[in-house]
Amino acid sequence: MKCQSTRFGSFEVKDESVLTFPAGLLGFHEQSRYVILDHDTEAPFKWLQSVDEPGLAFVIMDPAQFTNEYSVQLTPEALAEVKASETDALSFAVILTVPSEDPAAVTANLRGPLAINPRTRLGKQLVLTDTYPTRHPLFPPAVSQPHTPLEAAACP
Amino acid sequence: MLVLTRRRGEGVTIGPDIQVIVLGTKGGQVRLGIEAPKTVEVHRDEVYARIQDENRLAARTQAVPLEAFKRLMPAKRRHVHEDHP
Repeated sequence: MKCQSTRFGSFEVKDESVLTFPAGLLGFHEQSRYVILDHDTEAPFKWLQSVDEPGLAFVIMDPAQFTNEYSVQLTPEALAEVKASETDALSFAVILTVPSEDPAAVTANLRGPLAINPRTRLGKQLVLTDTYPTRHPLFPPAVSQPHTPLEAAACP
Repeated sequence: MLVLTRRRGEGVTIGPDIQVIVLGTKGGQVRLGIEAPKTVEVHRDEVYARIQDENRLAARTQAVPLEAFKRLMPAKRRHVHEDHP
């Protein structure tokens, strides 16, 4: 099928590559069909583009690429929603927020990760407890901010 | 909006299988008991709203400057081979 995107133009999408989020994403319940686009082979992130809404796309990333300390358990109900069998290996993605004024200050939403079942091509945005931040800085501030010049010590 | 007045111990039934009961009130706070099928997700408004707001903000991203990632990704970054859809 043809997919229109305000960011990437018009392109062909195979039916079998469409991901369905039956409940949509939070705040975007009316859009349930998406396709994952590789932004660039070098890039660690991908785009989740709505198939039906050309202007709707999210930057997503595998959380394992920036943290080892993030494990997500799905409830039996959530597993049922993506029709997961015991042998299905689910994949997880988090949505990135990239501030246009400071792209280096990109954050990842760890509280609302996406769980995707590659076999059934069903996905779900989970709602985790508030112990997980919605704005986890992807890059440590020490790296993302230039060194500030040392201030002259105010000697008494 | 439907507005109902309930006393402690009273509740409302929503649809065939959702029940909300007022368990008590104390210092301006209301304790609610909610019985719903497990397939119905129940969250505090603010938890839900926070993710919703973040989604809306994230959806505004028009382009990602790759150099920001290249400059900042550690050199030892693993290349994860995924099954491409």
